[in-house]
Amino acid sequence: MAVPDISQRGPLGPGPRLRGALRRGLRWLPVLPSVLLLALFMAAPVAWSFYASFTDAALTGKAALNPQWVGLDNYARMLTDPVFPLSAWLTVVFVAVSAILGQNAVGLVIALLMTRSGGATASLVGTAVVAAWVLPEIVAAFAAYAYFSQDGTLNQLLGTFGVQGANWLYAFPMPAIILANVWRGTAFSMLVYRAALSDVPRDISEAALMDGARGWQRLAFITLPVIRGSIATNLMLTTLQTLAVFTLIWVMTAGGPSNASTTLPVLAYQEAFKLGDIGYGTAIASVLILIGMFFGAVYVRLIRGAKP
Amino acid sequence: MRFGANAALVVIGLCFVLPLAWLLLASVDPHAGYETRWPQSASLANFAAVLTPGLLFQPLANSFILSAGTAIVNLVVAVLAAYPLSRCQSRFNKPFLYAILFGTSLPVTAIMVPVYGLFVQLQLLDSMPATIFFMATTTLPMAIWMTKNFMDSVPLELEEAAWMDGASGLATLRRVVMPLMRQGLGVVFIFVFIQAWGNFFVPFILLLSTSKQPAAVSVFSFFGQHGAIAYGELAAFSILYSVPVLVLYTVVARGSGSAFALSGAMKG
Amino acid sequence: MRRPVRTGAALLGVVGLLASAACSAQPQAVNGQTIKIVYQKTDSFTALDKVFQDAKQEFEAAHAGVTVDLEPIQANDDDYGTKLALAQRSPDTAPDVFYEDTFKVRSDVDAGYLLKLDSRLSAWDEWSKFNEAAKAAGRGDDGGIYAVPLGTDTRAIWYNKTVLQKAGIPVPWHPKTWDDILSAARKMKAADPSVIPFSMYAGKGTGEGTVMQSFYELLYGTGSSLYSESDKKWVVGSKGFTDSLQFLKTLYDEKLSVTPADALDSNVWKKVFGQWLPQGKMGATVEGSYAPSFWQKGGSYEWAGYAQDMGVAMFPTQFGQDPHGVSMSGGWTLALGAKTKSPDLAFTFLTTAVNKKNALAFDENNSQIAVRADVASDPGYQGANPFVKDVSDLVAVTHYRPATADYPKISLAVQQATEAVITGKQSPAEAAAEYDASVKKLVGEAKVMQK
Repeated sequence: MAVPDISQRGPLGPGPRLRGALRRGLRWLPVLPSVLLLALFMAAPVAWSFYASFTDAALTGKAALNPQWVGLDNYARMLTDPVFPLSAWLTVVFVAVSAILGQNAVGLVIALLMTRSGGATASLVGTAVVAAWVLPEIVAAFAAYAYFSQDGTLNQLLGTFGVQGANWLYAFPMPAIILANVWRGTAFSMLVYRAALSDVPRDISEAALMDGARGWQRLAFITLPVIRGSIATNLMLTTLQTLAVFTLIWVMTAGGPSNASTTLPVLAYQEAFKLGDIGYGTAIASVLILIGMFFGAVYVRLIRGAKP
Repeated sequence: MRFGANAALVVIGLCFVLPLAWLLLASVDPHAGYETRWPQSASLANFAAVLTPGLLFQPLANSFILSAGTAIVNLVVAVLAAYPLSRCQSRFNKPFLYAILFGTSLPVTAIMVPVYGLFVQLQLLDSMPATIFFMATTTLPMAIWMTKNFMDSVPLELEEAAWMDGASGLATLRRVVMPLMRQGLGVVFIFVFIQAWGNFFVPFILLLSTSKQPAAVSVFSFFGQHGAIAYGELAAFSILYSVPVLVLYTVVARGSGSAFALSGAMKG
Repeated sequence: MRRPVRTGAALLGVVGLLASAACSAQPQAVNGQTIKIVYQKTDSFTALDKVFQDAKQEFEAAHAGVTVDLEPIQANDDDYGTKLALAQRSPDTAPDVFYEDTFKVRSDVDAGYLLKLDSRLSAWDEWSKFNEAAKAAGRGDDGGIYAVPLGTDTRAIWYNKTVLQKAGIPVPWHPKTWDDILSAARKMKAADPSVIPFSMYAGKGTGEGTVMQSFYELLYGTGSSLYSESDKKWVVGSKGFTDSLQFLKTLYDEKLSVTPADALDSNVWKKVFGQWLPQGKMGATVEGSYAPSFWQKGGSYEWAGYAQDMGVAMFPTQFGQDPHGVSMSGGWTLALGAKTKSPDLAFTFLTTAVNKKNALAFDENNSQIAVRADVASDPGYQGANPFVKDVSDLVAVTHYRPATADYPKISLAVQQATEAVITGKQSPAEAAAEYDASVKKLVGEAKVMQK
């Protein structure tokens, strides 16, 4: 949930020559607890996930007692399962529209507007945007559920304009969860871009102003290129966070109707826990982990590349 | 120009506030439904109805234990790990930091199925301490990052003086470095606390007995059980459950001088 | 060489922390003096909680030093099943005694979660009071008995007489065919477009309720079935399956049932019992014999007029063919955890919970059909509500779900098919074809037959 910047290195300790090798080794000892925790609760589950995805482990039935090695069966099943491709596609849509387009663009627009608006307005609006983000996940999900429900606020609003609303969660589940995710997650992008824009030197944009550059030109040719590092990292992080969204969807639509909003995390949960098919559930989870790893690797490269 | 920006911002702000309006209005409306409306007879009956030990206090106490425990584990482990990372230069430094960074990218919902399996194997299901350690691990990469960044900004001279006096590394850390980065540690603590407080999925899978479940899970069963009837109570419960993190966030935002210190802390 | 020592110490510290975490996960369970009971409790289902509270008092009074640890899980049937399965995986969270749906018994026996009770039951004199059909509900694939039934149920049409009368339909109403149902429903719709004339569940939201209180009444009335007991194979490609889906489609397309959006809401049944039927906004629905438990005094949706206003009718077969009616029976059992450390105490507790007094209280409060002969003949049971005789008679035409370990997965495939049809995602024929394909995938071609 953050934008670390590896390019800023800490002050160096006293020269390594001053200390013996043993002493240096000792100094690394404090890192051990974190390594152990990460190994036990992060690396081990990932490894277990890949392992279990090659078995028919289950919550109940014979396979619960003696899971068998089934090779690539679970992965082969994904290809024939009508729900998996749908679910993978919905995940792509969800991430692309709600994170990359939605949160990212809305966050940038808000941050840009804030640089040219009154302080009071900016901080008030900032609070409103951040509130949705700070709220516990499940409360935000309930609020979004109520908002989109048949008698909810959205339909009331449309009603005042004489528009007949729909049962959004049933008729348009994907737009509903996408909007809800934009609502909940935009604060993060906004915070990142506010910080990034405050670092853009004033004289650069002022110089451009002297040259008669118009607003959008300044934005496209000066501001955006200066903060491109932040844009890239923010894109990565919002993508990864959105990839993992479960509670919001689970509360709003539970993946329905008829799997119309079943993204991969929801599918993995249903297969593993609702249907008790741990093997297939972990196979889906493993695919998700691989996608996460891919984005993670791109993200690390981006940050290394941005390093001066 | 400025007026335009202000107007646009206000419209966007309204869009963000709208879904919350229902929560506030329904909580004081004894006959609340899903529509947002001004209560005909506002009352605190919904709050009174959920202010019971079983419904509110026990789950909130559990949430507090889980969140505070997670934040403390994070703080201790992150400070220990960040110290050498910030103070020593070594060829392990960068790979480790990149690995940590990589760890922040792991979708936690994806590892819940295997984590459940792991907890079964180790017989840790339904254990609060084990759940705390797991939740701490999920936020640990970020906590190490933030802590290292805060530590980098503590000047080295004071530590060198302590070393001259013969203090060991860890003693210096405790007596010299940590007091200087108190504020930063506060930010890390609250940051982790807020995340843990709102976490639904992890305790939902790992904690089975009702007596150990945090508010996030109990509000979900509450909704499932009473969903068809008690909208007002749901809203009241949600508000009571959200207040602590809203307050904490405000503390961070205020205490650090700017409303967006959190973002600064993240950026490093 | 300070380093290895320090490393070792740090390692020990962390391992110690984790170990203490592991230990604290099992509060006083080991000394054999605590038995853990896991069961379901909701705001509309407290009958079992009451039985266990009473049984706990009785049991603790008789067994000094033994603590009964009651752990109700607050969840709907579906989530309760998930939570119970999650707890059963691990020996330290597995309960000693638990509430188990009959249709899960076989698969949980296969998983090794349930303790075989045969030797204990044969030494228990009250076991002979249980009727044979009910005993079979607790049987595993190996023929052994693994669970003791608490009660059973049947399913019927529950209708609101005033709504039917307003539409000019004479009561008592006894539809003879599916068409009788449709024409009555259309009359109700014509008389008052705001009522929901005849509702049947569909979709995954209501879980097992979808199939038990809707689809199976249809399917088993076409002469088809889900599973052939004689061939031990699952039936696919039957016309009855498509016809049943078509009937649901007609109900939903003509808006004779609740809206598809409502049907997918897992809480829809609360509106049926709590609002629509009592307020005369629904003509009829298919529900369990336990329906009066919601309306009687002390129920979640108390409704003094239910005895006068409601009527009950047998669900007809498709064209009125023999045996003229269909019902489905399920019910819940109590079982012992296979890993229980005190099987004797746990079994004694189980027998306390299902003794005549507690079984009678449960059957009365939860409107269950008695499985003990001494309860069935008790005047208190027979007079518990005006419908006891009607719903008990349905035992003659009732069906049970296929008692196989694969059943829960097949059930979900059926629910999926109904959801696809009522939401208009697939035609009945397409949904049936997809169901056939998933059954073949789930159980393998060898365990499937065309019929």
